[in-house]
Formats: sequence, C-alpha cells, structure tokens
Amino acid sequence: MEVLTGLMHGFGVALQPLNLLWCFVGVVLGTVIGIMPGLGPPATIAMLLPLTFLMNPASAMIMLAGIYYGAKYGGSTTSILLNVPGESASVATCIDGYQMAKKGRAGAALGIAAIASFVAGTVGVVGLMLIAPPLARMSLAFSSPEYFALMALGLAMVVLLAGRSMVKALLATLVGLWLAGIGTDLFSQTSRFTFGQMELLSGIDFVVVAIGVFAVGEVLANMEQRQETPMIEVPKGLRNLLPTLQDLKDSRFAFVNGSVIGFLIGVLPGAGSTIASFISYGVEKAVSRHPEKFGHGAVEGVAAPEGANNSETGGALVPMLTLGIPGSGTTAVLLAALVLWGFKPGPLFISENPAMFWGLVASMYIGNVMLLILNLPLVPLFAQVLRAPVYVLYPLILGISVVGVFSTSGSLFDVWLLAGCGLLGYLMRKLDFPSAPLILGLVLGGAMERALRQSLMMSDGHLSILVSRPVSAVMLSLALLILLVPLFNKFNTWRLKALDS
Amino acid sequence: MKKSLLCMALLAASTATFAQGFTPTRPIEVVVHTGPGGGSDLLARAVALMMEKEKLLPVRMQVANKTGGGGAVAAAYLAEKKGETHTIGLFTGVWLTNPLTSAEAKVSLKDLTPVARLVLEPALIAVKADAPYKTLADFVGAAKQKPGELKQSGGSITSRDNVVRQQLQKAGGARWQFISFPGGGERIAALLGGHVNMMVIEPAEAGEHIRAGNMRVLAQVADARLPAFPNVPTLREAGFNVTPVPQVRGVVAPPGIPRDNVAYWEGVFRKLTQTESWKKFLADNQFEDGYQNAAELTKFYEEFSSQMRAILQEAGVKTVR
Repeated sequence: MEVLTGLMHGFGVALQPLNLLWCFVGVVLGTVIGIMPGLGPPATIAMLLPLTFLMNPASAMIMLAGIYYGAKYGGSTTSILLNVPGESASVATCIDGYQMAKKGRAGAALGIAAIASFVAGTVGVVGLMLIAPPLARMSLAFSSPEYFALMALGLAMVVLLAGRSMVKALLATLVGLWLAGIGTDLFSQTSRFTFGQMELLSGIDFVVVAIGVFAVGEVLANMEQRQETPMIEVPKGLRNLLPTLQDLKDSRFAFVNGSVIGFLIGVLPGAGSTIASFISYGVEKAVSRHPEKFGHGAVEGVAAPEGANNSETGGALVPMLTLGIPGSGTTAVLLAALVLWGFKPGPLFISENPAMFWGLVASMYIGNVMLLILNLPLVPLFAQVLRAPVYVLYPLILGISVVGVFSTSGSLFDVWLLAGCGLLGYLMRKLDFPSAPLILGLVLGGAMERALRQSLMMSDGHLSILVSRPVSAVMLSLALLILLVPLFNKFNTWRLKALDS
Repeated sequence: MKKSLLCMALLAASTATFAQGFTPTRPIEVVVHTGPGGGSDLLARAVALMMEKEKLLPVRMQVANKTGGGGAVAAAYLAEKKGETHTIGLFTGVWLTNPLTSAEAKVSLKDLTPVARLVLEPALIAVKADAPYKTLADFVGAAKQKPGELKQSGGSITSRDNVVRQQLQKAGGARWQFISFPGGGERIAALLGGHVNMMVIEPAEAGEHIRAGNMRVLAQVADARLPAFPNVPTLREAGFNVTPVPQVRGVVAPPGIPRDNVAYWEGVFRKLTQTESWKKFLADNQFEDGYQNAAELTKFYEEFSSQMRAILQEAGVKTVR
C-alpha cells in the first residue's frame, strides 16, 4: 500500500509537463552519447552539472538519470553494427551482435537489444521500488571472499566462450589476466609491467583493448582478402529489419536472466554493468539448448547482456539512494550532484525526500517507454549503415575507434595502444585464438586479484575463508562444475567410443 | 569618435593596473588528474562556477581531465606546457606522494610553479555503531591485545588512511590489518557490513551514517575540532601524540611563466578564498580553509614530502626519491 501511494505521488511529480520534457531530454541525450564511443555517461553528467543549478533538483535528477539509463540503450548500436563497443557495458553484446549483423540480421539484433533493454530496465526499476532497503542491507553481507567467488564464476565462463580449442582459450585468458595486472599495485604501491611508461601507471583501459581486438582486428583481417569482400547484406522491407516472433520466443529466458542477474550484480558496490553483462551472457549460454550457436549470431546472446546492463542501472541506484554508497562511476557523479544541490544522500535520504525518490522511480518507468518508442524506429535507419561499401565502412570503423579512444582519455598513448591491440586482434584471428576470453580475463582480473588479496588479509592468510562462507562456497562450487562439465563430456564420448570398439 | 577612443584607452589602462600587466584573453584550461566526478574534477567545476558568479575572471574556465598514473599524467602535461599563461592545474597531496614511490612519475609539484594552497580536508576515525569501542583508546587497546586481528578499510598504502594507521600504531604500540579498497563506497560498505572494524572517513561522507545510527566517530584527524563535531576529540585530545598529515588541495601553474602571470593567479585565488561563495563551499563540504600563498606553499612541499617519506619508509613502503 505504501508503495502504491508513493508511486502515485511519484507519477504526480514525473508527469508534470516540465519533468516529462527533462526526462525526454535526458533519454535522448543518453541515447546519443551511448551510440558514440568515448564520451560516457559520467563525463556527460559532470559536464552538465553547472546547468542543473538553474533547475529544480527533482527535474535535474530525472534528466541526469535519463542520461544514465539512456546511454545503455544506445551503447549496443555500434557494438552490433561495427563491432565497436560504445561503452564498456556493451562489449559482451559485440560477440553475437556483430555476427548477427554479418548475417544480415543487424535489424533483428538492434531490435532485440532495444526490447531486452526495455524489459530489463523496467524490471530494474520495479526492484528498486519494491526491495531497495532490505536488498541494500543484504548486499553489505557480500564481502571480498564473495566477490572473489563471483569473479571466479565469471572466469569459469571461459570454458563457454572458448572456440574450437580449449588450450587456445585458456592462453588468451591468461594474456587477459596479465594485461589486468599492468599498472600500480594498490596494496604495495609498486609498479608492475609498466616498462618505465608513466601512462601505464594506472593500468590499461579495457575499452581500448576491446575496441582494438574486436573492431580494428576485424577490419585488418578483412582488408587482407584480395578479392572484393562481399558486402554485408541488408534485407529489404521493414518487416525483415525487426526481430521475428521466433526471436522473441528464443529470448524469453534471456530477458529474465538478464533482468535478474543485472539487477543483483548492480546492487553490489564492487561489481559493475560490464561484469553483469558478461555473467548473464555466460549463464545464457550455459543453460541454452543449442550452445553451439553462441558466437555465431545467437539472438539470446544479444538479449541477455543488453538486458543485464540495463537492469544494472536500477540495481546500482539501490546502494546509492538507500545507503549513500556509489557502486559505479556514474552513480558517484549522481551522488556528487545530490550533494551539490544541498541534499544529504545516506540512509535517511528516501524517507526524508520521498518526492525526489518516487519522482525518480516514476520517471524511470516513463523514460524506459520513451526509449523503446525512440529506439525501435531508429533500428531500420541504423541498419542502413551497413549498406555502405567496404571502402566507406572500414575507414568509418577505424575512424570511430580512434576518435572514441582518444575522446575517453585525451591521450595519444591510448591511440597507439589501440593500434597495438588491433594488431593483436588480427594475429589472434589468423591463429584462431578466440578474443572473448582475453577480454573476460582483462575485465575480471583486477577485481579478482584484489578480492583474493583482501580476503587473505582478512583471514590472516588462511585460504579457508573462501569456502567457509556459504555464499562464496556455493559460487565456487558452481564455477568448479562449469569447469568440469566439458571434461566429463569428453570422458563420456571416449568411454562410448571405447565401448563401441 | 574621439570620445570612444578615449574611453577605450581609459578602459585599457584600468584593466592593466587591476591585472598587474596580465589579463587572460581566452578560456583558462584547468588540468585535473581525476575523471569526471572525481574529487579534483568536482573542485575544479565548483571553482569555475564561483569565479563566474563572483566575476573574478574575464574569461571562462574549462576543465581538462588528464587521468592516469595517480596524478603523474596531469603533472607531466603541465610540465610540458612550459611558459603557457592560460593553463593552471589543481593538485592534491598525491602529486607529492606519488613521485616518492613511483619511478615513472618524474614530474613533482616542485617542477611546477606554485600558486596557492586552497583546502585542507579533515578526517574522522569511525567504527560501526554496534562496535564495543567507545573511544580511540578502546580500539587501540583492543588491537594491542590481539595483534593483527582487527582490520581497517582504506585506500592505497600511501593514502592518508594508512598514514594515520601507521602513526597510531606507533603511538599506541599496537598493530592491526590495513585492507585496501579502490573505491570509497567499498570501504564504507566493508565497515557497515562488519567485515572490517574501523576506517578513516571524510566528515561529509560520515555525517549521514552517524545521523542514521549506523556509525560512531571516535576521533578527528585534525589540529582543532571541526564545527560540525564539537564533541569528538582530536587525536591529541584522545591521548595520541601524533601530528596529523594534512590532506591538501591547491593550484599550480606550468613552469617558466612570466612573473606578472604568477602574480595574477595569486591575486585571483586570494580573492576567491575571501568570497562568501567560497566560505559556503567549504562549509557545505566540511573542508577547512587551507589558504597559503606561493612562498608558503613551496615551504609546505618540503615539510610534507619529508614527513611522508619518513612515514612510508617506516611502514615498509619502498621509496624511490
């Protein structure tokens, strides 16, 4: 009942014409910056902060949050069309999204991404509305050993992302883990593998590696072919550019999986949307009846990570609004904005500012509908990009990659790094190494190492801390199971063969 | 026609005397070492707003985020801009500490032109509200009885969090674990979840958790009590004879800029710190006024670096300079 009155009150705030306008401005702006690689939501929100002083705080919050979740919608566009992840959370979308585009199903991929975003984004808001305070308290029980187990579970997904050769997948993972180790060690303040380069002191930005290995590597590999490469086909007719009923049916479980996993991981202050999208991709593949389709354009492989990175938004707002604890870069800026407007974010924030909280929640329902209406008609339009001949398309991809990387950090060093990673991606394609495990190792490596070292410091060096806590024990057993299943399968085929002969 | 010419001449003359020979003619680039939303970034944007509101600068300020290397990239960027009159940077103590431990961080604050120190950030020592420790002596005493069993969450090993720990351990003859977390949110979550026993926290962050009854403050890391915490003892008052290492923020300019340019920046920031907007900004964020002019700031570098070097070496951190 309390929720219902709160929500009624919230819609009263969010449906005021001016707030509707700001919500619209926010989601449009979010979509645009999501589409462009480079400039992400935290930078955009920080730049807009001075303007918000002229606005009523509730309207400003509605607009800034719109940018946050709007960017998640836009992020998939370049991932699917050009294999260039628009933001870190869209890297997992590249894996199957770009393959779908290559098969002439770019429209279906973009459409399913928008629908998954809408479904999961809405589920995230429902979660935020109904169970935020108890969930925030529960998330505090999650500490370093649990984070380690979560990252281990994520890393076990390598088995699922591996191509034909498990050895090559594991090697790629190890390179990813090594890349994650570059930089200044937080615990001892010593530099690791920096080769005297000041730019490497704070480590390698994984978006640079992802764009290099995925996009630049793909372009290089395709350019090598002497004869005219066949253009990516784009089917004619509006109907063929949107997801089919079968696509929606296939993605049923992916919507649920993405929504739930994204939201739960979003609530944790030490994990983010990138990890959420990879884990939900892995889970989707693990439970799929036809895992062999993943990596070759499975529609669920787009729906699950796109859903996860959208419901993560609702999840990430839980610790921020109920405890005043930011879980990601964007929520940190939103928190700073609240402080600048004179609010005191913390455990008492919601009860003392109900209009703000419920207005925000209601605006997020409205904003998600706006985004769906905004994004679906754009799908056929964006799909036309692929009609461009390769001598336009490839320079375009390279240009967007370079501009995206440079505008993130403003450093030429990162552009050289991009070139190096592109070469690495090309070699990996040539030698048939899968690139997704490398990215996975890089994404999880840093957080996993930190969590392990924090756990061991907490237990004074006893490894038992990792298995004596129920949550981490369950997750570690799951990871072990995922690792062992293929071995068991292999043994089984060998046994059957032996029986036959 | 003649009249307008005269007017222009007068105007030019008056600006010249006001600006002591230097007046900015294009937007000022403010270099910070954090990404958007980080501490220095937010300070830079707040300063830009206040400059505009108080009409202290004839041009706009633009924030340039040069992230990486814990301040090393931003410092190197400023050093490369030798003689550039329209670029300044906002520094923190990290710009002094980082070159002590990283051989790659070659540019220190000492290689740049000092302008002003602006802010001192005090800190509090907090425990969970249901912890058995009522005073700082309780906590240190408990740590002494069970060496290495109590835990503190904090930032990197060269952060102020660990410096305070080192000083307290030495003064109290105790030892406890220091667990590094990269994000401030994770540090607070670790304390509230009961995974660690104590943390050093900024007053603005702690305020709401105290009001909600989740946290208790044992002492404040400052020379004098903060207005918002009149009943919380300072480290000295709590019985620990340690000199708090200040957490500072201030302004530097590229090396080799003309003297009138330095004087101009000094004047502008001196005026900024006297405005009502600035005082309100300090109060809202629970910062202390840390104003020092360029000459005092140069002296401060030396004191700070040698104090940090000694503490880090005692803590077993390898120093390279």
